[in-house]
Amino acid sequence: MENYIVEMLNITKEFPGIIANDNITLKLKKGEIHALLGENGAGKSTLMSVLFGLYQAEKGEIRKNGKKVTINNPNDANALGIGMVHQHFKLVEVFTVLENIILGVEPVKSGFLEMEESKGKIMELSEQYGLKISPDSLIEDISVGMQQRVEILKMLYRDNEILIFDEPTAVLTPQEIKELLQIMKDLAAEGKSILFITHKLNEIMEVADRCTVLRKGKYIGTVDVDSTTKEELSRMMVGRDISFSVDKEESRPGEIILSIKNMTVASKTHKNNAVRNVSFDVRAGEIVCLAGIDGNGQSEFVYGLTGLEKLVSGSISLKGKDISKASIRERSASGMSHIPEDRHKHGLVLDYKLEENLILQRYWQPKFQKNQFIRFDEMRNYAEDLIERFDIRSSQGPTTLARSMSGGNQQKAIIAREIDKKHELLVAVQPTRGLDVGAIEYIHSQLVESRDAGKAVLLISLELDEVMNVSDRILVIYEGEIVGELDPKETTTQELGLYMAGAKRNTEKETGHAGE
Amino acid sequence: MQGNNNSDKPKYNFKRITSHPGFKSLGAAFMAVFLGLVVGFAIMLIASPGNAISGFRFVLLGGLRRLGDVLYFATPILMTGLAVGFAFKMGLFNIGASGQYTMGMFFALYVAFMWDLPGSTHWMVAILAGFLGGMVWGFIPGIFKALLNVNEVITSIMFNYIGMYLVDMWIQNNSIMYNSSMTRTRYIDAGVQIPALGVAGSNVNFGIVMAVLIAIILYIVLEKTTFGYELKATGHNKHAAEYAGMQGKRNIILTMVIAGGMAGLGGAFAILAPSAIAGSSMTYEPINIIAANGFTGIAVALLGNAHPLGTILSATFISYIQRGGTLTSLVGFKPEIIDIVVAVIIYFSAFAMIMNSAIGRFIKARLGKEEDKPLLEIGEEPVEEAEPQNEQETEKEAE
Amino acid sequence: MDVVYYLIQNMLPVGIPLLLVALGGMFSERSGVINIALEGIMLFGAFFGALFVLNVQDSSMGAQTILLLGMLVAGISGLIYSLLLSFASINMKANQVIVGTALNMLIPAVILLFSKMFFNSDGITTSKSFYIREIPVLGQIPLLGEMFFQRTYLTVIIGFIILAIAVVLLYKTRFGLRLRACGEHPHAADSVGINVYKMRYAGVSLSGILAGIGGFFYAVGVMDGNVSGHTGVAGFGFLALAVMIFGQWKPIRIMFAAMFFAFLRTLAYSVSLIPFLFDLGIDQTYYKILPYLATMVVLALTSKNSRAPKAEGIPYDKSQR
Repeated sequence: MENYIVEMLNITKEFPGIIANDNITLKLKKGEIHALLGENGAGKSTLMSVLFGLYQAEKGEIRKNGKKVTINNPNDANALGIGMVHQHFKLVEVFTVLENIILGVEPVKSGFLEMEESKGKIMELSEQYGLKISPDSLIEDISVGMQQRVEILKMLYRDNEILIFDEPTAVLTPQEIKELLQIMKDLAAEGKSILFITHKLNEIMEVADRCTVLRKGKYIGTVDVDSTTKEELSRMMVGRDISFSVDKEESRPGEIILSIKNMTVASKTHKNNAVRNVSFDVRAGEIVCLAGIDGNGQSEFVYGLTGLEKLVSGSISLKGKDISKASIRERSASGMSHIPEDRHKHGLVLDYKLEENLILQRYWQPKFQKNQFIRFDEMRNYAEDLIERFDIRSSQGPTTLARSMSGGNQQKAIIAREIDKKHELLVAVQPTRGLDVGAIEYIHSQLVESRDAGKAVLLISLELDEVMNVSDRILVIYEGEIVGELDPKETTTQELGLYMAGAKRNTEKETGHAGE
Repeated sequence: MQGNNNSDKPKYNFKRITSHPGFKSLGAAFMAVFLGLVVGFAIMLIASPGNAISGFRFVLLGGLRRLGDVLYFATPILMTGLAVGFAFKMGLFNIGASGQYTMGMFFALYVAFMWDLPGSTHWMVAILAGFLGGMVWGFIPGIFKALLNVNEVITSIMFNYIGMYLVDMWIQNNSIMYNSSMTRTRYIDAGVQIPALGVAGSNVNFGIVMAVLIAIILYIVLEKTTFGYELKATGHNKHAAEYAGMQGKRNIILTMVIAGGMAGLGGAFAILAPSAIAGSSMTYEPINIIAANGFTGIAVALLGNAHPLGTILSATFISYIQRGGTLTSLVGFKPEIIDIVVAVIIYFSAFAMIMNSAIGRFIKARLGKEEDKPLLEIGEEPVEEAEPQNEQETEKEAE
Repeated sequence: MDVVYYLIQNMLPVGIPLLLVALGGMFSERSGVINIALEGIMLFGAFFGALFVLNVQDSSMGAQTILLLGMLVAGISGLIYSLLLSFASINMKANQVIVGTALNMLIPAVILLFSKMFFNSDGITTSKSFYIREIPVLGQIPLLGEMFFQRTYLTVIIGFIILAIAVVLLYKTRFGLRLRACGEHPHAADSVGINVYKMRYAGVSLSGILAGIGGFFYAVGVMDGNVSGHTGVAGFGFLALAVMIFGQWKPIRIMFAAMFFAFLRTLAYSVSLIPFLFDLGIDQTYYKILPYLATMVVLALTSKNSRAPKAEGIPYDKSQR
């Protein structure tokens, strides 16, 4: 009989229509790093939210040190010493670091806030664990890495002993990841117990003691990390063998399709330009990948390229035609297809039917309208055709509301629309975000197919594996500049990481005629 | 409240109102009406317990005695209802229907008094002038929203006041239009009045025919044309509309201009309506008060689910209880009782949808029918956790 | 110089209701709820305040005591009325703007109904004068004394006291910190155990109290103690929203914005007393429009870099993360 600090026994949590957690058991030992592995949508976050009191489970019980406890809200969790670093940080951007840390447990002296005392305690903790912060800066002004340290300090300030990390490495550079994993090890050595949610096998192998695997809301098993392999874990996670590589032949680049010269795009959040003096070409029949850590100007680059945002300076030409000042519609009509980063925000009108969404880029063409009246019969035929060819699944075919479709099928609808539209260039922005392995494989094969059909493909991705496996050429963007051009066959993930972190560059430094 | 709306959040989320299936919204409308009437009755009980029942009977049935008048008074609020509802479809809250209505009324009056036109062209031109006046007053919030990103709600409210003050001043300073001893506008010629339909004992006129035709045209525009497709797409998701190359700014302005025109027509229809008493006409009293018909239009639009054809029904209904409301004065009440009912209906319309869908979900759960995924709260993105349902599918694909 | 004194003495009683109501709007929006119902809440508070005055004006109570008690009544009334907004927007997750519009429409109708039925008029007319010729001691301060403490109302001093309290409450207390967190990032607040629903109720309720008091002060300082269902508070609730935006949701800035608008309005109604303006012969209506027009100019200028609370207007749903 081992001593567990936290036991979650037979937890079942349902959402309307879905069983997110189906009879799941997880036991956490004191002082261990316990990984929770699973695909997107496997139920990891739900399970942790149950432990943290954000959701209440329908069935099952939670024990702390062998005693049954009820956790109805984060306050209860906090009282039991459970803290959580959420995947999307829960920080108030216009508050200072200090205010964020004390929020909810504010020290008060005769009715007024008393900040100095807590500042002392926080700085002590910061030094003890090597978590560097600047307490009086606003959250919106500090780096993502520091924001994460603030989240960790929030837990330590509350004397939490059970620390949940929800996908903490997604937003970090490889170097920052290394630091974080070291911090986690140090915390465990100090006696803190850590639950580490992830779908990255390398990280588990590096820091975790044990690993519990979930799949589609079900408990698959718990293994000792020392006695298992990456392959074994991935099989448990996906339920079958997966190939980590993408089948594709050598690319045969043809003529230049897209040519970008000295492109500069302003930022909405700060005064500096988000994209600075970027120049490169994409040829027919190749997949060029723009790689980088999130927030290094990729979104703004895509907005500038597709016309959602005006350029500060520079030029874009598509098949030799200058489109720098063209409208979104003109760019689209002259052969640019765009799979947007956020399918709910840009890609779909969720309250429109599938068929209406499938003509979103083309409703104005003569095929779909006559004298400004929509040709509904053509719309229906076209939708049925695409649904069949791209295997888009939904409950009511063309008349299904896009909102009620699954993420994977929503993405398929967008891909069908963008690929079937007459185009020379396909801009795919994080096309696999939030999808499971099956959908990811499908989308990768579509990109390769598009390339083989002689289209130019520009892939913008944050996932190192995707960058390495899918692309024919890698461009690394760092702080809005292209800092490196790499051949995926000749580089390593480590080297790529150094470029992404800005530690290395093989292109010339900006010469200063554009930019800040 | 902020003027700046360039962030992504759904601030005034009219998707919530406009995107529900028809039958659900009908249920919601009934619920809102029911609660509105209940509150109205309660207030009558408080105000005068002895007469509450007979008064309430007037509210419910009084309109039957004056069906012609019901249609007559439905005309302007049908138009303001369309003005609010049409903008709703685009995701805009046109609380400025009041100012647009007043401006349309003034333009129509101006043509009626100051221009000399032959025969029936006179009232037709006066109506067109009203249309134009409303469009001008809808154009302004449209421009502020599209070009300066100022929230249309505040702009509309401010221009309700500005329009009202301007119109009152213009009328008072014009002795051809204004009878200062009566503090009202003078009577307009019978020739400028819209021809009556000839229903005995009522002034119901061609205005209602035109209003219904306009509603049908709006319906066709919304449901069958590319402009309607763009407009609704923008209302549902302006980012996706922009991504699809739609000209959001142009569409915002166009929508507000059309909406304003609708309200302006409402003002024209109201003031150009014929009078039963020979030699008289409708008049306007410039006493610095904002036109109520503009606000009633909000209730009409909400009840009609912003659907042009639904708006015809809701305008008729509101007018019906308003007629009944005027009769309550026979037992000591005041017509304002209906304004209370209308306000309460708007209040409950704002969340009756949610109550309704909650009830629907409950019934569904009871019946054990869970095959189709329940609608997520409209206006909110499905969360990641909501996705596992599809994994069966993707798994099949992968095999 | 007399004109300057006159304008300032008249500006303050107009500016104070604007200030209070805008502060109310600030508390509500800082907690995350758009309160477009300020106009209606003001009228509600003004009505009950005036109703109270009407009932006690013939008693032996001093005018300023009646004012203070009336303020209490108005504040409580405003609080109660604002609960309708809280319930709809917090519990029912209803559209806050539509609910606000409904509440704005409800109150004039109720007032007209009851006034017509029971007073045979459009509202309430009181006969108590709350005017103060000169506040002892303070009124004697050279220059400032005449500007701020002569020919004025007690409402002015109370208004500035409330402003001071609002500043402290918002920035120096636990409550203020938590309130602001709820308006910016309710999920963050929830995750550290703050009850977002409660905080939003608190924010809206504060706005109800302040708008109720503001409405009463409007009736006292601007309308000579009268309330009418027809003219209501003449769009002051909406102007207060503009004042709040102009003040960037910050109390001190809101105070300056309120005084700016009050000054414009005072000017509009004093044209005949200012020879220079009177000689221009511009219709008084244009001056009346001035505050509304100024609002539009201000909004057009500030809309680009507005710092509205990020989560305002969005119903908070616990299950949405």
